Amino acid sequence: MNPKGKTRLKNIGLYVCIILILLVYLFPIMWQISTSLKESKEVFSDYNFIPKKITWENYRVAWTQFNVKRYLFNTIVVSFAITCGTLVFCSMAGYAYGQLNFPGKNILFFLFLSTLMVPVTVTLIPAYIIILTFNWGDTYWGLIMPYFFGSALGTFLMRQFYMSIPKDLSEAATIDGAGYLQIWWSIMLPMSKPALMTLGVMTLVLHWNNLIWPLVITHSPQLKVLAVGLSDFRLYRTIQWNSMMAAVMIATAPMLIILMTAQRFFIKGIQLQGVSR
Amino acid sequence: MALYQMELKKPHRMRGIKKISGCQRRREWVAGYLFILPNFIGFLTFMALPILATIAISFTEWDLISPPKWVGFANYQNLFRERVFWISLKNTIWFTILNVPIQSFLALFFAVLLNKKLKALTLFRTLFLFPWVCMAVAIGLTWMWLFNTQFGVINYFLRKIGFSGVNWLTSTNTALYSVLIVNIWQYLGWHIVLLLAALQTVPEELYEAARVDGANGWQIFWKVTFPLISPIFFYDLVVNMILTFQIFDLPFTMTGGGPGHATRLFNLYLYQKGFLYLQMGHACTMGVILFIIIIIATYLMFRFMGRKINYLTS
Repeated sequence: MNPKGKTRLKNIGLYVCIILILLVYLFPIMWQISTSLKESKEVFSDYNFIPKKITWENYRVAWTQFNVKRYLFNTIVVSFAITCGTLVFCSMAGYAYGQLNFPGKNILFFLFLSTLMVPVTVTLIPAYIIILTFNWGDTYWGLIMPYFFGSALGTFLMRQFYMSIPKDLSEAATIDGAGYLQIWWSIMLPMSKPALMTLGVMTLVLHWNNLIWPLVITHSPQLKVLAVGLSDFRLYRTIQWNSMMAAVMIATAPMLIILMTAQRFFIKGIQLQGVSR
Repeated sequence: MALYQMELKKPHRMRGIKKISGCQRRREWVAGYLFILPNFIGFLTFMALPILATIAISFTEWDLISPPKWVGFANYQNLFRERVFWISLKNTIWFTILNVPIQSFLALFFAVLLNKKLKALTLFRTLFLFPWVCMAVAIGLTWMWLFNTQFGVINYFLRKIGFSGVNWLTSTNTALYSVLIVNIWQYLGWHIVLLLAALQTVPEELYEAARVDGANGWQIFWKVTFPLISPIFFYDLVVNMILTFQIFDLPFTMTGGGPGHATRLFNLYLYQKGFLYLQMGHACTMGVILFIIIIIATYLMFRFMGRKINYLTS
């Protein structure tokens, strides 16, 4: 066989191999989809991958009876609010650390960055008490505020980005009479769209999926986010697995769609975390 | 971008006024502080202050209702005498020791497999990230269904090929490993993407050169590829260790720590101490201990592995 045909054959082999691995790897998610479309009597009797009769009833049950509707609304409000705050405040701070000069800049930045290693549970209880003293226990404020001002990782990512922009640019604008706020808003922000997208999708996923903080800070059913609402099912004696899987689908599908449409920003975000340190 | 190019065209104009007056410098200082202010307020209120407060609360007895009572090191002494504390610590260390190498080396294997010029690489990478982007709670519920002793599809397959079903989550012998499987599965894609990025930085010529010298695939990997990506692989191991120590969502959803104390992992027990038994002092003490353990483990990894990495890359 000629070498070209050989590499071609090798490539086909590789493709088959990867697709088989992916089928096994993604089987749990496929089974979850399958179960969510089955009728109750089929769930416990057959192990067909394709349901005999596809039913959307489970989604209706999850949506209304399990109150996933409300959980989804809360999750959207909270995770989008946090993402907006993070984008604004991290890019502001990143701009200052990356472009401006002021005394104590490096000390402040590394003090801030050093908190990346601190486990969530170390700050959990005092943060809970702080929120209670603000009277924000069991409110949207309590869910949003601790993360609203941005994260260490986000500030770090934005700083790295702004450091790569030549300083001449903003200096020229200063001479032309632009204030710093104006430079940040009309020059820096438009230029940093890719970095903001990366930070945005990473933050959104993180807080969409966050469990421990909402679990601690909210009690009333109307304020539960998806993670908390779904974790309540652990308390049930008998679980309607098909409706359960439908609820799981509703909770995870938005993030899967965002992953598929913005995959290059996710890849960038993961790579940056590895390469930049 | 147009603006950017435009500005670059007139450096002559800037060179003339490069000297920034003291007034202007002070203006820049003020602007700098104002720009970091919101970020820094968040940091002080929800990070710096809580870290200090946790240390302080760890020396008190506090149930949130009556005022905290100073007890010195009593919380630390009591915890060290407590059986469940040691069980949770042992579970967590064992879980981490198994999770980190299995996950990272498995990811390395898949990353190498994917590191070919494939047209569908983007799609494959995205598909591998699917479980990572789903909430751990949902993943936990899905696997509870798969692991179901009576009706779960895994036991169905096992029975079909002649084994008997396993009590995945309901037996003290297997529950921790069941959670481990799910954890490895969920975050594998993240590590694959990270390591794949590292592999793609290795220049093609190095492979060519090694091949000309007569090295086989295995030799090329361990002598050329691995040393070059070892800094990122090492970073991956450290981050993986730090994150695995903190695992909470999966055991909370899937087992709640049971059966018995089989899956009572450190952070789960901390949460239960604080918000189930309202022993804030104990919970904060556990937080401090967790932090110290992570710092020590990170230090040890840098001490014993970091040196080898430098040797490999230089």
